Amino acid sequence: MIRTSRRQLARYGADQLLAGIPANTIARHLGAVLVESKKTNQAELLLSDIAWELERRGKVSNVDITTATPLTDQLRRELSAFIKKSVSVEGTALHELIDKEVIGGIRIDTASRSWDKTIARELTEIREAF
Amino acid sequence: MLNPQFAASSGGISSLGVNGQSFLFNLITFAIVLLILRRWVFPKLVKTLEDRRKTLEESLVQARQTEEALANAEVKAEELLTKARTQADAALAEARKQAEVIIAKGETEAGERARRIIAEAEARLDIERQRLHQQLRRELAALVVTATEKVLRKKLDEKTDRELIEKSLKELA
Repeated sequence: MIRTSRRQLARYGADQLLAGIPANTIARHLGAVLVESKKTNQAELLLSDIAWELERRGKVSNVDITTATPLTDQLRRELSAFIKKSVSVEGTALHELIDKEVIGGIRIDTASRSWDKTIARELTEIREAF
Repeated sequence: MLNPQFAASSGGISSLGVNGQSFLFNLITFAIVLLILRRWVFPKLVKTLEDRRKTLEESLVQARQTEEALANAEVKAEELLTKARTQADAALAEARKQAEVIIAKGETEAGERARRIIAEAEARLDIERQRLHQQLRRELAALVVTATEKVLRKKLDEKTDRELIEKSLKELA
């Protein structure tokens, strides 16, 4: 049985991605390791670790954007610029999610940081303040 | 039996109509009886009478003594009664005094206890008031927030939302 930590696997995945190896090849390799070590339930965590590793190296940041209304291109550009500056990465991969529950505003989640400027969050803070 | 001559010769006594012989006989008889009486009857009689007298005297003395004792006993009883009354009065007065002291003490303690109870009740009421006040504030805030949420969901259009997002990004930057 291969005894490799998730951190090591994440580093390996990041290295391979940065080397230009296709993603599905890397996925197969990592999948095999997970199956062999009976850790298939940690697949999601491994992906998060790879994203964190890529961000830590300043290469690319995987960003989850949650809003109540779709973003415009202008906003996307501003967001990218903001993320690159805040997290110190060269590139960003934005994933947009429309959720009416946030009411308005924006929530930004990267591998290492989060910003929540939604109206739902503001209202929750007001409620908790009392 | 008696000599008639003797009877006839006593001229003096017989002139009185007394028979000398009979008289002598009676005299002797009287003397014998007297002797007998003096010898056997009178002493006993006298003794009996004397005993009776003594008994009576003793009885009288005893009666007198008894009377005196009774009088003394009555006096003593009266004294005892008076003493008992005095003691009872004193005990009653003392008991009343102590009762007053106890009542006064009880009233003071009851008053203190009542004040403490009131103070505790006021403190509890105060805490309850503050708790209700806090609860009211929370409920009011929740109502305001819910109302605001409802209004914002209806009123917030896409344009306003985008402006809001842009403003947020500027603030974060």
